[in-house]
Amino acid sequence: MSRPARTFTLGVLALSIPVVVRAQTVASRTASVRDGTVRMNFDSRPGVCGDGEGNVWIIDARHGGFGDARRPCIPGPIRVAIGRSGGQTVSVRSRVGGVDSPAADLDLGNVPASDAARYLIELAHTLGGRSSNQALSAAAFADAPNVWPEFARLVRDSGAMLDSRKEALFWLGQSDAPTADLVRLYDDLEPEPLRDHATFVLSQRRDEAAVDKLIDIARHDRDLDVRKRAMFWLGQSRDPKAVKFFRDVLVR
Amino acid sequence: MRQSVGALAIATMCVAPATAQTLSQRVQTTDGRVEIVYPSRAGACGDGRSYVGHVFGHTVAGTGIYERNSGWPERPCLPGPVRLEATVLDGEVTHLRAYVGPLATDIHGARTIEVSATEAAGWLGQLVASGHSRVASEAVLPLVLADAPDPWPLLLRVARDEDRPRGLRTDALFWLGNGVIDHLGLDDRAAETPDDEMRSQAVFVLSQRPRGESIPELVEIARANKHASARRAAIFWLGQSGDLRAADTFAELLGSR
Repeated sequence: MSRPARTFTLGVLALSIPVVVRAQTVASRTASVRDGTVRMNFDSRPGVCGDGEGNVWIIDARHGGFGDARRPCIPGPIRVAIGRSGGQTVSVRSRVGGVDSPAADLDLGNVPASDAARYLIELAHTLGGRSSNQALSAAAFADAPNVWPEFARLVRDSGAMLDSRKEALFWLGQSDAPTADLVRLYDDLEPEPLRDHATFVLSQRRDEAAVDKLIDIARHDRDLDVRKRAMFWLGQSRDPKAVKFFRDVLVR
Repeated sequence: MRQSVGALAIATMCVAPATAQTLSQRVQTTDGRVEIVYPSRAGACGDGRSYVGHVFGHTVAGTGIYERNSGWPERPCLPGPVRLEATVLDGEVTHLRAYVGPLATDIHGARTIEVSATEAAGWLGQLVASGHSRVASEAVLPLVLADAPDPWPLLLRVARDEDRPRGLRTDALFWLGNGVIDHLGLDDRAAETPDDEMRSQAVFVLSQRPRGESIPELVEIARANKHASARRAAIFWLGQSGDLRAADTFAELLGSR
């Protein structure tokens, strides 16, 4: 092959890779493996790092710094291995840092973070346990700022496993989504354990809107245990409004 | 000379009738395990071998204290005397454990001493007031269980005595709190509403705040809140605080400064 021809070929390849990735979604390419492992990498959002063994940290103004000097904290990408059996996704494992696991039946390489995150959240609608947990945390760590409505959709999905919905709610709480979104979401939450979990999620926001909603829950939720839990988390807030609320309850 | 004194002491002990000995002396002459049996406080019950129930609304099993309606235990809670198991080594009480209910038949040859509740309370009061840390703490429950005049004045002294072990003072304060709730007639939960539960929760949440803020607030609620549920919760959490101000408040509420 002459030199100009080789350059041309490389140029075509460089152009074709993103086109192919977009043409075949992460989902359909993964589904092409009936039994085996599919591997993919995607960019993590700024501040995410891991030790390559499954431990992941977020280092930013909201979550603080990385406090374990004994372990290295290596910035992304996020590496995900999806286990397939009989044409179904049966496991998801993710890590940040370290090296790829050696065995994979299909390596998707580096995929757009938003595509990967949406796919992983979709998986969590039907998965439970550790796989769901890993899929959702990987999606939350992805450099994909516009996927939070997908998390909210999973929280509302009454057909999904409760632990997946709680996990989605947790990550939604940790996201940059406005507290007002969480407040609106609360009114759709069933069953009671999900609303109970929501009180914790709201409490982690540490802002006025969250305190106001917790007070509202403590006053009006239909379940007494949820009201009591909201009050507990209000107590952790040290917000003067919360203290005033306790005093009101005691004199009413 | 020392031998003569020892022989005289033994002779005296043999001659003196058993009833003339104090309970303390009778226990101390035991080596190993002895059981002291005495009438229990009205309402107290148990299965005679694993737990004590209805002690100011609490169930006590081993070192654990459980609130009423906690779903435990399964064996019936029957009235009966207190059976206090004491371990004595070289004349010193080293361990106490109290049961209420039917007397066990399998006491494995342990000596049994039956006494009045007043006599038992007198001896137990001495242990609480001046015994070693563990035994003093272990003596608080059997003292509270005795069908004798309330031990609150003694427990108040102990709770306020900074020379006594912290664990003992905490135990004393806990039972004092229960005594205050009983004394003020705040223990009736039959008509409790969800609002009462929220009030109790509010008091709990306030109790978890820094001590400098929480104790004065709990004291105020315990003294003057219009809701029995709030006062009861405040007294309970004051009893858990180990704070001297709690003892002062309890003294005030018991009318025994």
